[in-house]
Amino acid sequence: MIEAGKTSATATAARLPAARVGIGGPVGSGKTALVERLIPALAARGVDLAVITNDLVTAEDAERIRRSGLIDPARVSAVEAGACPHTVIREDPTLNIEAADELERRFPGVELILLESGGDNLASTFSRDLTDFWMFVIDVGGGGDIPRKRGPGVVRCDLLVINKTDLAPHVGVDLELMHAQALAVRDGRPVLLTNCRSGEGIDAVVAMLESQVLFRA
Amino acid sequence: MLRLHGIVGHETDTSLRAQLHALEHRGAIELLFVPPEEAGRKRFRLISDRGTDCAVSLGRDEELRDGALLHLDRERAIVVRFGRQRLWKLRPADETAALKLGWHAGNLHWRVRFEAGCLVVLIDGPLADYRARLADLLSDGSVTEIAYD
Ligand SMILES: Nc1nc2c(ncn2[C@@H]2O[C@H](COP(=O)(O)OP(=O)(O)OP(=O)(O)O)[C@@H](O)[C@H]2O)c(=O)[nH]1
Ligand SMILES: [Mg+2]
Repeated sequence: MIEAGKTSATATAARLPAARVGIGGPVGSGKTALVERLIPALAARGVDLAVITNDLVTAEDAERIRRSGLIDPARVSAVEAGACPHTVIREDPTLNIEAADELERRFPGVELILLESGGDNLASTFSRDLTDFWMFVIDVGGGGDIPRKRGPGVVRCDLLVINKTDLAPHVGVDLELMHAQALAVRDGRPVLLTNCRSGEGIDAVVAMLESQVLFRA
Repeated sequence: MLRLHGIVGHETDTSLRAQLHALEHRGAIELLFVPPEEAGRKRFRLISDRGTDCAVSLGRDEELRDGALLHLDRERAIVVRFGRQRLWKLRPADETAALKLGWHAGNLHWRVRFEAGCLVVLIDGPLADYRARLADLLSDGSVTEIAYD
Protein backbone atom coordinates (compact mmCIF):
# COMPACT_ATOMS: atom_id res chain seq x y z
CA MET A 1 0.00 0.00 0.00
CA ILE A 2 1.15 3.48 -0.72
CA GLU A 3 1.76 5.46 2.44
CA ALA A 4 -0.25 8.55 3.17
CA GLY A 5 1.37 11.70 1.91
CA LYS A 6 3.86 9.96 -0.31
CA THR A 7 2.70 11.69 -3.45
CA SER A 8 2.43 15.18 -2.09
CA ALA A 9 4.56 15.81 0.94
CA THR A 10 7.60 13.67 0.22
CA ALA A 11 7.82 14.27 -3.50
CA THR A 12 7.49 18.01 -3.08
CA ALA A 13 10.24 18.05 -0.52
CA ALA A 14 12.50 16.13 -2.88
CA ARG A 15 13.97 18.01 -5.80
CA LEU A 16 11.42 18.72 -8.50
CA PRO A 17 12.40 19.21 -12.11
CA ALA A 18 12.64 22.82 -13.27
CA ALA A 19 9.69 24.17 -15.20
CA ARG A 20 10.54 24.88 -18.83
CA VAL A 21 8.86 27.82 -20.48
CA GLY A 22 9.16 28.59 -24.19
CA ILE A 23 9.01 32.03 -25.74
CA GLY A 24 8.40 32.08 -29.48
CA GLY A 25 7.21 34.58 -32.04
CA PRO A 26 8.11 36.49 -35.19
CA VAL A 27 11.47 38.17 -35.74
CA GLY A 28 11.84 41.34 -33.69
CA SER A 29 8.54 41.07 -31.80
CA GLY A 30 10.33 41.58 -28.48
CA LYS A 31 11.13 38.08 -27.20
CA THR A 32 14.54 39.04 -25.83
CA ALA A 33 13.12 42.29 -24.48
CA LEU A 34 10.49 40.23 -22.62
CA VAL A 35 13.17 37.91 -21.23
CA GLU A 36 15.10 40.98 -20.06
CA ARG A 37 12.00 42.21 -18.25
CA LEU A 38 11.09 38.81 -16.80
CA ILE A 39 14.53 38.10 -15.32
CA PRO A 40 14.52 40.89 -12.71
CA ALA A 41 10.79 40.53 -12.03
CA LEU A 42 11.15 36.81 -11.32
CA ALA A 43 14.39 37.27 -9.39
CA ALA A 44 12.64 39.81 -7.17
CA ARG A 45 10.16 37.06 -6.29
CA GLY A 46 12.98 34.71 -5.41
CA VAL A 47 12.65 32.45 -8.46
CA ASP A 48 15.83 30.50 -9.24
CA LEU A 49 16.24 31.07 -12.97
CA ALA A 50 18.22 30.08 -16.07
CA VAL A 51 17.86 31.04 -19.73
CA ILE A 52 18.42 29.36 -23.10
CA THR A 53 18.38 31.33 -26.31
CA ASN A 54 18.23 30.03 -29.85
CA ASP A 55 19.70 31.93 -32.74
CA LEU A 56 20.23 30.96 -36.32
CA VAL A 57 24.02 30.80 -36.50
CA THR A 58 25.21 33.05 -33.67
CA ALA A 59 24.82 33.45 -29.92
CA GLU A 60 23.72 37.07 -30.34
CA ASP A 61 20.76 37.01 -27.95
CA ALA A 62 22.60 34.93 -25.36
CA GLU A 63 25.48 37.42 -25.41
CA ARG A 64 23.04 40.31 -25.06
CA ILE A 65 21.45 38.73 -21.97
CA ARG A 66 24.84 37.75 -20.48
CA ARG A 67 26.05 41.34 -20.86
CA SER A 68 22.84 42.78 -19.41
CA GLY A 69 24.07 42.24 -15.85
CA LEU A 70 20.61 40.94 -14.94
CA ILE A 71 21.70 37.33 -14.41
CA ASP A 72 24.84 35.26 -13.78
CA PRO A 73 26.20 34.78 -17.35
CA ALA A 74 26.86 31.10 -16.59
CA ARG A 75 23.09 30.63 -16.34
CA VAL A 76 22.57 31.62 -19.97
CA SER A 77 23.07 28.95 -22.63
CA ALA A 78 22.97 29.38 -26.39
CA VAL A 79 21.75 26.85 -28.91
CA GLU A 80 22.41 27.53 -32.57
CA ALA A 81 19.57 26.25 -34.70
CA GLY A 82 21.64 26.27 -37.87
CA ALA A 83 18.39 25.94 -39.81
CA CYS A 84 14.80 27.14 -39.50
CA PRO A 85 14.30 28.02 -35.81
CA HIS A 86 11.27 25.76 -35.44
CA THR A 87 13.32 22.64 -36.16
CA VAL A 88 14.99 22.83 -32.73
CA ILE A 89 11.83 23.57 -30.74
CA ARG A 90 9.41 21.21 -32.46
CA GLU A 91 10.70 18.62 -34.95
CA ASP A 92 13.88 17.74 -33.09
CA PRO A 93 14.24 19.58 -29.80
CA THR A 94 17.12 17.36 -28.61
CA LEU A 95 19.69 20.16 -28.59
CA ASN A 96 17.46 22.33 -26.42
CA ILE A 97 16.50 19.46 -24.14
CA GLU A 98 20.20 18.72 -23.62
CA ALA A 99 20.89 22.39 -22.89
CA ALA A 100 18.08 22.43 -20.32
CA ASP A 101 19.21 19.16 -18.70
CA GLU A 102 22.73 20.54 -18.52
CA LEU A 103 21.52 23.74 -16.79
CA GLU A 104 19.60 21.63 -14.28
CA ARG A 105 22.72 19.57 -13.58
CA ARG A 106 24.89 22.64 -13.12
CA PHE A 107 22.34 24.57 -11.05
CA PRO A 108 20.48 21.92 -9.04
CA GLY A 109 18.05 24.37 -7.40
CA VAL A 110 16.89 25.94 -10.64
CA GLU A 111 13.10 26.28 -10.70
CA LEU A 112 12.48 27.85 -14.07
CA ILE A 113 14.23 27.77 -17.43
CA LEU A 114 13.15 30.35 -20.00
CA LEU A 115 13.79 29.27 -23.56
CA GLU A 116 13.73 31.91 -26.30
CA SER A 117 13.27 30.53 -29.78
CA GLY A 118 14.81 32.23 -32.77
CA GLY A 119 12.43 34.61 -34.53
CA ASP A 120 10.21 32.63 -36.89
CA ASN A 121 6.83 32.83 -38.60
CA LEU A 122 3.30 32.53 -37.25
CA ALA A 123 3.31 28.76 -37.70
CA SER A 124 5.96 27.98 -35.12
CA THR A 125 5.00 25.96 -32.07
CA PHE A 126 6.91 24.24 -29.25
CA SER A 127 7.00 20.51 -28.62
CA ARG A 128 5.49 19.44 -25.29
CA ASP A 129 8.59 17.30 -24.82
CA LEU A 130 10.61 20.48 -24.57
CA THR A 131 8.43 22.99 -22.74
CA ASP A 132 5.74 22.76 -20.07
CA PHE A 133 4.24 26.07 -21.06
CA TRP A 134 4.93 28.36 -23.99
CA MET A 135 4.18 31.91 -24.88
CA PHE A 136 4.00 33.45 -28.29
CA VAL A 137 5.01 37.10 -28.60
CA ILE A 138 3.61 39.21 -31.40
CA ASP A 139 3.80 42.96 -31.60
CA VAL A 140 1.52 45.80 -32.49
CA GLY A 141 3.91 46.94 -35.22
CA GLY A 142 3.28 43.72 -37.14
CA GLY A 143 -0.29 44.88 -37.74
CA GLY A 144 -3.59 44.64 -35.89
CA ASP A 145 -4.76 41.86 -38.19
CA ILE A 146 -2.14 39.32 -37.08
CA PRO A 147 -4.45 37.47 -34.63
CA ARG A 148 -7.15 37.15 -37.32
CA LYS A 149 -4.72 35.20 -39.49
CA ARG A 150 -4.97 32.34 -36.99
CA GLY A 151 -1.35 31.25 -37.14
CA PRO A 152 -0.80 28.06 -35.12
CA GLY A 153 1.63 29.94 -32.86
CA VAL A 154 -1.02 32.54 -32.05
CA VAL A 155 -3.82 30.03 -31.58
CA ARG A 156 -2.10 27.16 -29.77
CA CYS A 157 0.29 28.84 -27.34
CA ASP A 158 -0.54 28.76 -23.63
CA LEU A 159 -0.22 32.54 -23.43
CA LEU A 160 -0.32 35.06 -26.26
CA VAL A 161 1.60 38.25 -25.56
CA ILE A 162 0.88 41.34 -27.64
CA ASN A 163 3.95 43.52 -27.18
CA LYS A 164 4.90 47.10 -28.08
CA THR A 165 1.54 48.48 -27.00
CA ASP A 166 3.23 51.90 -26.91
CA LEU A 167 3.44 51.83 -30.70
CA ALA A 168 -0.29 51.39 -31.32
CA PRO A 169 -1.07 55.08 -31.96
CA HIS A 170 1.93 55.37 -34.28
CA VAL A 171 1.04 52.44 -36.51
CA GLY A 172 -2.72 52.97 -36.61
CA VAL A 173 -3.64 49.87 -34.61
CA ASP A 174 -6.80 49.68 -32.50
CA LEU A 175 -5.37 47.85 -29.50
CA GLU A 176 -8.73 46.98 -27.95
CA LEU A 177 -9.93 45.43 -31.19
CA MET A 178 -6.66 43.52 -31.64
CA HIS A 179 -6.97 42.18 -28.09
CA ALA A 180 -10.60 41.16 -28.60
CA GLN A 181 -9.83 39.41 -31.88
CA ALA A 182 -6.91 37.58 -30.30
CA LEU A 183 -9.19 36.33 -27.51
CA ALA A 184 -11.75 35.28 -30.10
CA VAL A 185 -9.37 33.16 -32.21
CA ARG A 186 -8.08 31.60 -28.97
CA ASP A 187 -11.51 30.74 -27.58
CA GLY A 188 -10.88 32.98 -24.61
CA ARG A 189 -7.55 31.48 -23.61
CA PRO A 190 -5.10 34.01 -22.12
CA VAL A 191 -3.87 37.05 -24.01
CA LEU A 192 -1.80 39.70 -22.25
CA LEU A 193 -0.59 43.11 -23.42
CA THR A 194 2.92 44.33 -22.69
CA ASN A 195 5.17 47.26 -23.30
CA CYS A 196 8.67 45.92 -22.76
CA ARG A 197 10.05 49.43 -23.12
CA SER A 198 8.36 50.65 -19.94
CA GLY A 199 7.69 47.33 -18.21
CA GLU A 200 3.94 47.77 -18.38
CA GLY A 201 2.05 44.46 -18.27
CA ILE A 202 5.05 42.40 -17.11
CA ASP A 203 3.54 41.77 -13.68
CA ALA A 204 0.57 40.02 -15.26
CA VAL A 205 2.89 37.72 -17.23
CA VAL A 206 4.81 36.92 -14.06
CA ALA A 207 1.59 36.28 -12.15
CA MET A 208 0.50 33.80 -14.81
CA LEU A 209 3.83 31.96 -14.62
CA GLU A 210 3.59 31.89 -10.84
CA SER A 211 0.14 30.31 -10.80
CA GLN A 212 0.23 28.06 -13.88
CA VAL A 213 3.87 26.99 -13.98
CA LEU A 214 5.60 27.62 -10.66
CA PHE A 215 2.52 26.72 -8.61
CA ARG A 216 3.23 29.40 -6.08
CA ALA A 217 -0.26 30.73 -5.56
CA MET B 1 -3.69 23.81 -3.86
CA LEU B 2 -2.58 20.19 -3.81
CA ARG B 3 0.93 19.88 -5.25
CA LEU B 4 1.36 16.55 -7.00
CA HIS B 5 4.44 15.18 -8.67
CA GLY B 6 4.70 12.01 -10.66
CA ILE B 7 2.41 9.08 -11.43
CA VAL B 8 1.94 6.74 -8.47
CA GLY B 9 0.08 3.95 -10.23
CA HIS B 10 -2.90 3.12 -12.39
CA GLU B 11 -6.51 2.60 -11.38
CA THR B 12 -6.37 -0.95 -12.75
CA ASP B 13 -3.35 -2.02 -10.66
CA THR B 14 -4.46 -5.19 -8.91
CA SER B 15 -2.36 -4.37 -5.85
CA LEU B 16 -4.40 -1.20 -5.32
CA ARG B 17 -7.84 -2.63 -5.96
CA ALA B 18 -8.94 -3.01 -2.35
CA GLN B 19 -7.72 0.41 -1.34
CA LEU B 20 -9.42 2.09 -4.30
CA HIS B 21 -12.62 0.20 -3.68
CA ALA B 22 -12.72 1.37 -0.09
CA LEU B 23 -12.16 4.95 -1.18
CA GLU B 24 -14.88 4.69 -3.80
CA HIS B 25 -17.40 3.71 -1.16
CA ARG B 26 -16.57 6.84 0.75
CA GLY B 27 -16.85 8.97 -2.37
CA ALA B 28 -13.18 9.77 -2.03
CA ILE B 29 -12.04 9.15 -5.59
CA GLU B 30 -11.61 12.39 -7.45
CA LEU B 31 -11.41 12.62 -11.21
CA LEU B 32 -9.14 15.05 -12.96
CA PHE B 33 -10.37 15.62 -16.50
CA VAL B 34 -7.54 16.28 -18.94
CA PRO B 35 -8.43 17.31 -22.52
CA PRO B 36 -6.86 14.67 -24.84
CA GLU B 37 -4.93 17.35 -26.74
CA GLU B 38 -3.25 18.33 -23.47
CA ALA B 39 -2.19 14.80 -22.61
CA GLY B 40 1.42 15.42 -23.64
CA ARG B 41 1.89 18.03 -20.93
CA LYS B 42 4.36 17.48 -18.12
CA ARG B 43 2.95 20.25 -15.96
CA PHE B 44 -0.57 21.54 -15.55
CA ARG B 45 -3.01 22.94 -13.06
CA LEU B 46 -6.59 21.71 -13.09
CA ILE B 47 -9.56 21.49 -10.73
CA SER B 48 -10.82 17.97 -9.96
CA ASP B 49 -14.50 17.06 -10.18
CA ARG B 50 -14.70 17.53 -6.43
CA GLY B 51 -13.17 20.96 -6.54
CA THR B 52 -9.57 20.20 -5.54
CA ASP B 53 -7.07 22.56 -7.13
CA CYS B 54 -4.36 20.18 -8.43
CA ALA B 55 -0.93 21.48 -9.42
CA VAL B 56 0.61 18.58 -11.30
CA SER B 57 4.09 17.92 -12.64
CA LEU B 58 5.48 14.72 -14.11
CA GLY B 59 8.97 13.41 -14.51
CA ARG B 60 10.46 14.09 -17.97
CA ASP B 61 10.21 10.40 -18.85
CA GLU B 62 6.69 9.88 -17.53
CA GLU B 63 3.70 9.77 -19.83
CA LEU B 64 0.19 10.58 -18.74
CA ARG B 65 -2.36 7.84 -19.38
CA ASP B 66 -6.09 7.65 -18.91
CA GLY B 67 -6.61 6.14 -15.47
CA ALA B 68 -3.22 7.23 -14.11
CA LEU B 69 -3.20 7.79 -10.35
CA LEU B 70 -1.64 11.07 -9.34
CA HIS B 71 -2.35 10.80 -5.65
CA LEU B 72 -3.30 8.02 -3.27
CA ASP B 73 -3.52 8.01 0.49
CA ARG B 74 -6.07 6.96 3.10
CA GLU B 75 -8.15 10.08 2.51
CA ARG B 76 -8.46 10.13 -1.25
CA ALA B 77 -7.27 9.13 -4.68
CA ILE B 78 -6.92 11.36 -7.71
CA VAL B 79 -7.40 9.68 -11.08
CA VAL B 80 -6.76 11.13 -14.54
CA ARG B 81 -9.56 10.97 -17.10
CA PHE B 82 -8.90 11.94 -20.69
CA GLY B 83 -11.76 13.95 -22.08
CA ARG B 84 -14.21 16.24 -20.40
CA GLN B 85 -16.85 15.82 -17.76
CA ARG B 86 -20.21 14.67 -19.20
CA LEU B 87 -23.39 15.74 -17.42
CA TRP B 88 -26.71 13.91 -17.46
CA LYS B 89 -29.65 15.96 -16.24
CA LEU B 90 -32.73 14.21 -14.91
CA ARG B 91 -36.09 15.50 -13.72
CA PRO B 92 -38.31 13.41 -11.43
CA ALA B 93 -42.06 13.66 -12.13
CA ASP B 94 -43.08 14.09 -8.48
CA GLU B 95 -41.91 13.66 -4.89
CA THR B 96 -42.20 9.90 -4.94
CA ALA B 97 -40.08 9.71 -8.09
CA ALA B 98 -37.57 12.13 -6.58
CA LEU B 99 -37.14 9.94 -3.52
CA LYS B 100 -36.59 6.86 -5.66
CA LEU B 101 -34.15 8.62 -7.95
CA GLY B 102 -32.17 9.94 -4.99
CA TRP B 103 -32.14 6.51 -3.37
CA HIS B 104 -30.76 4.91 -6.56
CA ALA B 105 -28.13 7.54 -7.19
CA GLY B 106 -26.91 7.28 -3.61
CA ASN B 107 -26.75 3.51 -3.59
CA LEU B 108 -24.88 3.51 -6.87
CA HIS B 109 -22.32 6.01 -5.53
CA TRP B 110 -23.01 8.31 -8.43
CA ARG B 111 -21.52 11.75 -8.37
CA VAL B 112 -24.34 14.26 -8.48
CA ARG B 113 -25.20 17.91 -8.30
CA PHE B 114 -28.57 19.39 -7.48
CA GLU B 115 -30.16 21.92 -9.77
CA ALA B 116 -33.61 23.45 -9.27
CA GLY B 117 -35.84 20.38 -9.36
CA CYS B 118 -33.31 18.28 -11.22
CA LEU B 119 -30.56 15.83 -10.43
CA VAL B 120 -27.39 16.25 -12.51
CA VAL B 121 -25.28 13.11 -12.70
CA LEU B 122 -21.56 13.51 -13.37
CA ILE B 123 -20.94 10.69 -15.80
CA ASP B 124 -17.84 8.51 -15.64
CA GLY B 125 -18.31 5.72 -18.21
CA PRO B 126 -20.82 4.81 -20.94
CA LEU B 127 -24.21 6.52 -20.58
CA ALA B 128 -25.91 3.21 -21.41
CA ASP B 129 -24.62 1.75 -18.14
CA TYR B 130 -26.24 4.59 -16.21
CA ARG B 131 -29.51 4.36 -18.16
CA ALA B 132 -29.70 0.64 -17.47
CA ARG B 133 -29.70 1.29 -13.72
CA LEU B 134 -32.72 3.59 -14.03
CA ALA B 135 -34.51 1.60 -16.75
CA ASP B 136 -37.75 1.23 -14.76
CA LEU B 137 -37.98 4.84 -13.64
CA LEU B 138 -37.25 6.07 -17.16
CA SER B 139 -39.68 3.75 -18.92
CA ASP B 140 -42.66 4.48 -16.65
CA GLY B 141 -42.09 8.21 -16.92
CA SER B 142 -41.18 8.75 -13.24
CA VAL B 143 -37.91 10.30 -14.41
CA THR B 144 -37.32 12.29 -17.59
CA GLU B 145 -33.97 12.88 -19.27
CA ILE B 146 -33.55 16.63 -19.75
CA ALA B 147 -30.05 16.85 -21.20
CA TYR B 148 -26.83 14.97 -21.82
CA ASP B 149 -23.77 16.97 -22.62
N1 LIG C 1 8.61 50.57 -28.71
C1 LIG C 1 8.88 49.33 -28.27
N2 LIG C 1 9.95 48.69 -28.73
C2 LIG C 1 10.20 47.44 -28.27
C3 LIG C 1 9.37 46.81 -27.32
N3 LIG C 1 9.85 45.56 -27.07
C4 LIG C 1 10.96 45.44 -27.84
N4 LIG C 1 11.18 46.56 -28.57
C5 LIG C 1 12.25 46.81 -29.56
O1 LIG C 1 12.03 45.93 -30.66
C6 LIG C 1 13.30 45.52 -31.19
C7 LIG C 1 13.37 43.99 -31.23
O2 LIG C 1 13.33 43.51 -29.90
P1 LIG C 1 13.95 42.11 -29.49
O3 LIG C 1 13.67 41.91 -28.06
O4 LIG C 1 15.36 42.02 -29.94
O5 LIG C 1 13.08 41.15 -30.39
P2 LIG C 1 13.22 39.57 -30.57
O6 LIG C 1 11.84 39.05 -30.74
O7 LIG C 1 14.03 38.98 -29.50
O8 LIG C 1 14.00 39.46 -31.95
P3 LIG C 1 14.69 38.13 -32.60
O9 LIG C 1 15.25 37.32 -31.49
O10 LIG C 1 15.73 38.67 -33.51
O11 LIG C 1 13.59 37.44 -33.34
C8 LIG C 1 14.37 46.14 -30.31
O12 LIG C 1 14.84 47.27 -30.94
C9 LIG C 1 13.62 46.47 -29.04
O13 LIG C 1 14.17 47.56 -28.35
C10 LIG C 1 8.23 47.54 -26.83
O14 LIG C 1 7.42 47.06 -26.02
N5 LIG C 1 8.04 48.79 -27.35
MG1 LIG D 1 15.67 37.73 -29.58
